[in-house]
Amino acid sequence: MKTVEKVVNPVKRAGEQSPGKIFTDRLKVRSRREWRGVKDTFYDYTRWLYLMSVLGRFIIVPRNIKGFFRYRWMMSYLFVPHGMDKFTIGLRDEALRIAHTSFNFVIADVTKAIGNCFRGDRRVGNDKAYSDKCVITDENSMVTFMMGFDTDKVHTILREVPTMFASNIFHQFNVMHYLDVAQLNGIPGDVCPMPEAEAGISIDDDFCVLGSCAVQNNTTCDGSLMGNGIIAKRLEREYGIPTFQLATPLRHKEPDVMDYAAEEIKKAIAFVEEHTGEKWDWDVYFAAAKRVNYATKCRIAQMEINSTPYPQFFGAAFSLYNDTNYMGNSGRMPEFVNVDKKLLELAERGYKAKRMYAKEYRHRAIVWGVQPQYVIDMLYWLVQCWGVVPLTDMLSVINTDMIAEEDTPENREQAYRDMAMLNMEMIMRNHTHGGYKVLLDDLWELCEKMNADMVMMWEHMSCKALTGMHGMFEEQARERGIHIMWVSHDLCDPRVFTRQAIREQVNKYMRTVMREEPLDPSLEDLPDSEAW
Amino acid sequence: MSKIAKIPLILLGIALGFFVVTFTVYIFNLDMKATSLIAPLLEKWYDHLEHKQYL
Amino acid sequence: MRDLKHLQYFEDLLQQANNALIAQAKADGKVCVAYTCENVPEPLLNLDRAVSIRLTAPNTGSIDIATYYMTNLLCEPSRALLERAVEGGFSFADCVITPDGCTMMNRAVENMELLQTMGKDNPHFFHEYMEIAFKNTENDVRLAVLQCTNHILKPLHENYGIDVSDAAIRKAVEDHNRLCRLIHAIGDFRKEAKPRITGYEFHVLTLASYVCPKYLILDKLEETLEELKTREPDERNYRARVLLVGSEVDDSGFVKLIEECGAFVCCDRFCFGSYPGRTEIVLNDEEDALTQVCRHYIQNCQCPRMMSMDKVYGRKQYVADLAKAYGADGIIYQQVKFCDPWAYERTLGSSMLQHDFGYPVLSVDRPYNIASAGGQMRTRVQAFVESIEIKKIQGGGKA
Repeated sequence: MKTVEKVVNPVKRAGEQSPGKIFTDRLKVRSRREWRGVKDTFYDYTRWLYLMSVLGRFIIVPRNIKGFFRYRWMMSYLFVPHGMDKFTIGLRDEALRIAHTSFNFVIADVTKAIGNCFRGDRRVGNDKAYSDKCVITDENSMVTFMMGFDTDKVHTILREVPTMFASNIFHQFNVMHYLDVAQLNGIPGDVCPMPEAEAGISIDDDFCVLGSCAVQNNTTCDGSLMGNGIIAKRLEREYGIPTFQLATPLRHKEPDVMDYAAEEIKKAIAFVEEHTGEKWDWDVYFAAAKRVNYATKCRIAQMEINSTPYPQFFGAAFSLYNDTNYMGNSGRMPEFVNVDKKLLELAERGYKAKRMYAKEYRHRAIVWGVQPQYVIDMLYWLVQCWGVVPLTDMLSVINTDMIAEEDTPENREQAYRDMAMLNMEMIMRNHTHGGYKVLLDDLWELCEKMNADMVMMWEHMSCKALTGMHGMFEEQARERGIHIMWVSHDLCDPRVFTRQAIREQVNKYMRTVMREEPLDPSLEDLPDSEAW
Repeated sequence: MSKIAKIPLILLGIALGFFVVTFTVYIFNLDMKATSLIAPLLEKWYDHLEHKQYL
Repeated sequence: MRDLKHLQYFEDLLQQANNALIAQAKADGKVCVAYTCENVPEPLLNLDRAVSIRLTAPNTGSIDIATYYMTNLLCEPSRALLERAVEGGFSFADCVITPDGCTMMNRAVENMELLQTMGKDNPHFFHEYMEIAFKNTENDVRLAVLQCTNHILKPLHENYGIDVSDAAIRKAVEDHNRLCRLIHAIGDFRKEAKPRITGYEFHVLTLASYVCPKYLILDKLEETLEELKTREPDERNYRARVLLVGSEVDDSGFVKLIEECGAFVCCDRFCFGSYPGRTEIVLNDEEDALTQVCRHYIQNCQCPRMMSMDKVYGRKQYVADLAKAYGADGIIYQQVKFCDPWAYERTLGSSMLQHDFGYPVLSVDRPYNIASAGGQMRTRVQAFVESIEIKKIQGGGKA
């Protein structure tokens, strides 16, 4: 089997040595916050204050209070500080700052999104003029087709992000209600719970209702495509909001789908123009394209650092930030540029100082498959409990090609193809669809490139695209001498696998197959399965 | 001590008080502990809301 | 009713994927084009010397090997096909053409390719994967034309010298239409108050037309049609006429089970059924045949994978129209377990057909091989039939 050189951290971590001790089964929360030494505790405290100020500024707006008591999913946002604690367990120095910089920004972005939803929502803010300039999009969808619309004039509302995606990260049980509603209304329990929960929210009438129109996409899977129909029916027939289905080819590596995909982008843009009354602006588009390229360069640089013995930016913060930036932003908002820059500076500083997340790195792992929403802190746990450093996750392995960024007549035509390419290669589907090569071969290439000896394979039970290659992963990993550690979960339904049941799979593998002992035994068994 | 000279001290006192209170809340996780008491009540609230469930 | 003369013959053909007629076609020098989805335009697989064979795995028992490769979370048809491929049951295939329609079927075929289950001794053997249309637009027609050209016509011509000219396509469509006319002429007897063909018998005939070389069964289908014209129907009345809708049904035992419960399957709208798969393709002389075939498949496609809302609503209207045309008292919406597209389509369809169109609906999932859960299904269908009867007694029927 392949082995990698063990890297030992010469510096003892400041403060708490066994963060597992602050977990308690008496409460849904930890008994206290982690002591990280004076400097890092103070930093963490200031970021906590910042988060409280973000939440405070949000809730003092009267319509937001109204929304809070109208929508069940809003309860999740009470637990944002707890969520942030999950992202920073055991972190110090640059790692702590990277996690806060990226995730605080994501939280601020989500808070803004909720505020926008409530502003236009017919039940809450009912700002009709604003709502008429809003376009609803899917949660798991690229918004490239909005890149050429001035963000001050047309508002892209990723309605499902605050409602389902983010709320599930902060409160593991929050989507269970919507899953139950969906299943009570006939959708089976074996489909992917994410689109099922979204359909459940629609059936339960718990989405904000706003927008002049909606654009839906066949994003990641059959379930995602099919859930759209249920949501669109209610939008169109009950609320009179027209929908456009943006068809995105699955076999995205085949050149013979490009013309089709580009034409679909054109149609989506025309649809938005028709319903919002605003025009596509090429200046706006190419400015956004420059920012997309900058984000791509930063991401490539981060991945290069992660290929060294001292990876810096990984785990949930990395994937969620990429998700927000690559898909939800798609170059539209300039604020991301500064964050990209700051994150890269922090990572470079950490790399030069040879900062490590744990006492030692015993294994270098590629994390493949789809991560569970409710154990979003798992990769930080993995590195600190077992010394397995997650170099990158599948959701962060996205486009590395530059798109046309100068406004020329040829580039305007190319732009549709660029948008189509980005759209087809959106997060997750760029590996789960498009033929087995992007799922299997890409993984082994990445193992080679990033010098990984292990693959942690998330087996999301309801993700048929991934589980459909289970045997091939096993066989090909064996041929290559790569350790493959299967970790089953059900994406956002903690009733199927609790958090500890998920961690236990790693514990068993590391003890029985790898015959190793944990770096930090306090983390091996955590009583947080009932916590948010 | 003149009133003007006291202002920085007052401000410092307020800042220190703010720090002591908020840091205590922070380090002992009192914010989330309080939230854990409120959450069950909120769940009851959401449960009693009537929604038009419809496919 | 007296048994149909060729029923046993057709039933025997359905007992294994590699049936006797496939061997005969191979002996005739035909190229066997295996495929897995109704979204592939069938006439294009029957050009010149090519004959299409839709893959099935009749009498499926253990699917352990496929479950190792694809886990037990994928739908049983996809696993059953992989298992059969690993067992060598599809060794007759000269190529496999698969659309990236539903993920699971696509993965099944990808596993077949990676495991080299077919074509080891055939240097011309190929696997092709197609993107298929999502909506009913001219952009989708252009996509379909390109995909059919690149993934059906070119490889068939380059590997087997198949004539893929416009004339060849028109000839294949003509043959296809002849079969469709036959199947529908037979199926039209189901509209009668006292039908002279059962739903089961009709399904056997229709299914054979997918899994056998068509040119070898036409004569027997024609004979059967003649026989039906004078066949005396049973005097007894069925307790309820039901329209069977949903994901693929290549197990006639399922239709038989429904009819054993006293219902009559008066119409079929599923993959391997006569709707929409056996609808005639009307060609004009102004436009090339390939484009027209692709447009036909897109316009008539009832697969839930079609995502535009005109298709979403249209699929339910289509079912309602069929129910009306065939005088259905109720509708059975079924899906094979773990089928994502039909999980949602069944939910929305059964709700809309009930609430918007007023039909009683039974909404069920089922195993691939109905024999493995016959008792449960029987109970569900019996209860449904009784509920329809009660409605009739109460003067309702269709709500």
